[in-house]
Amino acid sequence: MSLQKDVSELVKANIITTETADKILAFYSAKNSSSNNRLFTAFAMLGAILVGLGIILIIAHNWDEFSRSSKTLFAFLPILIGQIFCSYTLLKNQNNTAWSESSCAFLFFAVGASISLVSQIYNIPGDVGSFMLTWMLLCLPLVYIFNSSITSLLYIIGITYYAVNLGYWSYKSAEPYLYWILLFGVLPHYYHIFKNKPESNFMVYHNWLLPVSIIISLGTVAEKTEEWMFVAYISLFGLFCLIGEVDFFSKQKLKNNAFSVLGSFGTISLLLALSFDWFWEELTRNYFSIDEFISEPEFYDALVISLIAGFLFYTQNKNKSLKDIKPSAIVFILFIILFILGHISSISLVLINLLVLGIGISTIKNGAKMNSLGILNYGLLIIAALVICRFFDSHLSFVIRGLMFVMVGAGFFATNYWMLKKRKTNE
Amino acid sequence: MNNKKILLPAFIVLILAQLFVPAKMILDNENTLNTGIEYKFKVAPIDPTDPFRGKYITLFYDENTRTFQNEEDWKIDDEVYVLLTTDSAGFAKIKSLSKEKPVDNEDFVKATVGLILEDDKKIMIDFPFKRFYMEESKAYEAELLYDEIVQDSSQIAYTLVSVKNGNAVLKDVLINEVSIVDLVKNNRKK
Repeated sequence: MSLQKDVSELVKANIITTETADKILAFYSAKNSSSNNRLFTAFAMLGAILVGLGIILIIAHNWDEFSRSSKTLFAFLPILIGQIFCSYTLLKNQNNTAWSESSCAFLFFAVGASISLVSQIYNIPGDVGSFMLTWMLLCLPLVYIFNSSITSLLYIIGITYYAVNLGYWSYKSAEPYLYWILLFGVLPHYYHIFKNKPESNFMVYHNWLLPVSIIISLGTVAEKTEEWMFVAYISLFGLFCLIGEVDFFSKQKLKNNAFSVLGSFGTISLLLALSFDWFWEELTRNYFSIDEFISEPEFYDALVISLIAGFLFYTQNKNKSLKDIKPSAIVFILFIILFILGHISSISLVLINLLVLGIGISTIKNGAKMNSLGILNYGLLIIAALVICRFFDSHLSFVIRGLMFVMVGAGFFATNYWMLKKRKTNE
Repeated sequence: MNNKKILLPAFIVLILAQLFVPAKMILDNENTLNTGIEYKFKVAPIDPTDPFRGKYITLFYDENTRTFQNEEDWKIDDEVYVLLTTDSAGFAKIKSLSKEKPVDNEDFVKATVGLILEDDKKIMIDFPFKRFYMEESKAYEAELLYDEIVQDSSQIAYTLVSVKNGNAVLKDVLINEVSIVDLVKNNRKK
């Protein structure tokens, strides 16, 4: 109403013509009606969901009264409804993202629900591994037929659960190699989003979910020589840091640059865990001959990831001078050297601590250079974390530990104060 | 991929595959139920320390251990074919165990090695029909009733299982010839 008043005022003052006034009113009225339509759609969907849930509850309560054939018919219903929605989308609304995504999401869950229902009707025992595999394989084609990113995200969660269940939770702890093949199944879609919708939220969700899924599932390869898994993980995090530095990612906001965040955080966490002596004592104790570890899958895992990371490092830095190379990029190479050295000498323990300290200092310098308080304090936090870890080492006296804490605390104050002062003088 | 000429046939193949999987499960199990041999497996009391698991009751069986010759032959989670026979009271009994699928016309069930008791030189078999799904509100009451009755050795509790070609389908859980579902309903009326 106030818009109408304002527009009439402008017409009276000869600022705009009557024709322009009508166009403005028509524009805003259409906008309101489209937002009304969206609100109505949202409420309609909520209503439909509640009705659907109500029907399911009524059926569930009376489940025992149904014959087995009625129960099997009910088992097919979710799939049939989902397929009808998807068919309608494909035939009439192919370019409508809302229709594609919601009908595919519904069908995704319907497939799982149907197989579960049939299992319950016949009291079939739960073999989670084969259930998840069948479910995911039946839904992967939806990603490509409908370009459905929601199905892609759900699929990634599904195959991660499959890998975790098979690799960590089952007694036999079999290596779910199939996970890696299944992961490749979704990568073309990821590339498609990268090419066509790089700014979209789906791109951000995939950027986070894919590396998290890989981090969780990588450990399932571990069998006997678990020490090599540390090399594999540090190289993986190094690879993530390198990917995070590719132009497309480095220009984005930090919260969208999942590779950099996960790579950096993962590297530091792992290095801090390895800054204790337990790992290096184990290493010198369990001496493996080359023949022994060359037959282990963990070694090949570490080798493949390190080679990929090494190749990316080379392509990104071949034209740069030594000074320009980012320190975070070479951590994994240094760690490999320390790991090999660790088999024959205990000096690796000291060097690992120096490595973490070096990363902390370089991060602080980086933060100062980029005028970023966040990165500067992150560097200080790395050093603080290292000091806290050393606090728990019984080798050092209380005096030394106390002095370390004082130095780090003073460092926090000094660097932040210096940075803020620098900013003030630059204003 | 906007070409409907490729997408539509691909989608049709997909929906057929999605319908095929549950349909095959139903057909296989219906076939076993309708044409399989029925066996009665006597049930053992449930472990009272097991927490309530949800919408099904967990079943344990009396007849589930067997002695072995060589320990090296068996590992936990290994697949094992259990050949069946019946005892004088009409309840199922393990005739023998085999690592390979039996070729003769004998009744057998595909199971897994649950536990290896090295001192007694025995294997405990994990039968696949160890869960009986029930409507949610009845499952808890059924489990309590089952636990109470099965501790009493004068009561006869068993599961009715249809067996065919290694596939086993759990039909019902009966206590003194009454289905546990009916027992729960009758218990509620009291």
